[in-house]
Amino acid sequence: MEILIYGAVTSAIYALLAVGFTLIFGVARILNLAHGSFYALGAYGTYVLTSIAGLPLWTAALVSIGFVAVFGVVVEKVLIRPLRHSQLGVLMISLAVALVVEQTLFLVFGSEYRNVPSFVDTKINLGGVDVAGQRLLTLAVAAVAIGALYLFIQFTRLGSAILAISQDPEAAKYMGIPSDKIFSLVMAISAALAALAGVMAGPFLSVQPSMHLLPIVKAFAIVVVGGLGSIPGSIAAAFLLGYAETCVAYLISSSWTEIVSVLATLLMLVFRPAGIFGKRAAF
Amino acid sequence: MKAFRGLDQFSVTGGLAALAVLGFLPTLFPGKYLIGVLTVAAIYGIWSVSWDFMSGLTGRENFGHSLFIGVGAYTAGFLNVQFGWGPWWSLPASMVIAALFGLVLGFPTLRLRGPYFALAMLSAAVIMQRLMLIFWEFTGGEEGIQDITPLIKDPLHYYWFVLALLGGITWFLAWMARSRWGLILRAIRGDEATCLAAGLPITTYKIASLIISAAFAGLGGALYAHYQLQVSPQLFAVVTSITIITMVYVGGMGTIFGPVGGALLLTLMTEGLRNFGEWRLMIYSLLLIFILFFLPNGIVAPTWNRLRHLFSQERP
Repeated sequence: MEILIYGAVTSAIYALLAVGFTLIFGVARILNLAHGSFYALGAYGTYVLTSIAGLPLWTAALVSIGFVAVFGVVVEKVLIRPLRHSQLGVLMISLAVALVVEQTLFLVFGSEYRNVPSFVDTKINLGGVDVAGQRLLTLAVAAVAIGALYLFIQFTRLGSAILAISQDPEAAKYMGIPSDKIFSLVMAISAALAALAGVMAGPFLSVQPSMHLLPIVKAFAIVVVGGLGSIPGSIAAAFLLGYAETCVAYLISSSWTEIVSVLATLLMLVFRPAGIFGKRAAF
Repeated sequence: MKAFRGLDQFSVTGGLAALAVLGFLPTLFPGKYLIGVLTVAAIYGIWSVSWDFMSGLTGRENFGHSLFIGVGAYTAGFLNVQFGWGPWWSLPASMVIAALFGLVLGFPTLRLRGPYFALAMLSAAVIMQRLMLIFWEFTGGEEGIQDITPLIKDPLHYYWFVLALLGGITWFLAWMARSRWGLILRAIRGDEATCLAAGLPITTYKIASLIISAAFAGLGGALYAHYQLQVSPQLFAVVTSITIITMVYVGGMGTIFGPVGGALLLTLMTEGLRNFGEWRLMIYSLLLIFILFFLPNGIVAPTWNRLRHLFSQERP
């Protein structure tokens, strides 16, 4: 039972991270190594707005998510777009951005762990297991956010434009879809999802400047297992990996969890590089 | 001078002269501090040139070079402290172990197109750093491994030894880069599909180059371990890889000797910026962004080439 619940929470956070990561790749072919920084900035933003500016938590969370979305758009417009012709240029520039963010956080806040307040403090008894309300809330919020994204992509005009570009950028351009605007929009969504993950997971995970690295590693592993650019694949793979890690943590030792993702990545690349759901099926 | 075939005279004499100047510098300005700085600069030179051989030539960027460095350094630490082997064993052992890591990581990722290699290397380095902390009973955790014995007692002699290795490795890799092998690697960067169509086993070439690159990075790691006399998980950090990549970009990618110049230049420059301490990495990251945008060919290699043209024009 513990495995079931904790696995679901871990998976939900991974899914939030991986969906944004794979979305921007599927649509704009941008492999964004600064994705983890959005997650870190979401957590730090909430911390600053609540403990220093004294805003109520809900407002703080929304403001910091909005701020990160804008930051993501600016990074994409100013830094990534001029280098989009080369995939390596994008990787380099986004990694450089990630390090600038990490160093800025380090210079401003130091390397100590920070506490982000949680939305719910009560513990809820679920099938004989005490679970912190924050974790359950995270699960619910992740489900709602990803569900909303699904509806948005499937049933709105903008959503179909996103879908069209991910399927065939050239043809979409000929149809008069303004791809640059769509890229900005997708970047905003992707950054906001990562920030949301940071805000929700902040209270029970460690918040410190180098926190952006593990999410990138996890997001990459998930995206490889699920297939680069495929959102259903990412969600499935997020649950696969989330549960695999939780099982390993409970049955063997929590020390071994980090190996799961690397092992999964390497095995997947050896045996089925296209991922479980195959290539390019953005929803 | 058959050994220098393919290298023009200016590069050879210039390179040897630069080595000689670097070698004599500490005798002109004695002092432990300068020797230390120069030793670190030379080790960074080895790391940068080994990165450039694989990634600069084939265009497959390696974001986890620190993995090989850390593996080499920890190999040296383990053999030396845990098993009590003599320090000279570290050098071949670290090369072999790092090369093995190169094989294990290169085999699944380099067969594929796309960004898998870059990302897999980044992930592997991050995970290795975590593992060093998690299995602290064996690796010493945050503290790492202490009390490694030095290879050569006298720091000046050790510096000369490292410098000689740097010269040797640079010469070897420059020679490789100008051979048929290097030509194929550059062709892979240009157009992988054409190379494949020409019947070249490109995956074998890429993996073999990664193994060579990894072996020299591991050697550099062992040299660093025997200089610092301790190793820590910090060696695996992504910032180490980024520092090296910045040095290569400053030097000029794919030019082999450029990155050595970049490494020396940046290490000496950051010593000048020592007072900024915490800002060092920030400066590196911003410098990298600046170079990506405005000087994609780097600084050292284009300057060198301009000098060379100047000299060859003056001489009849």
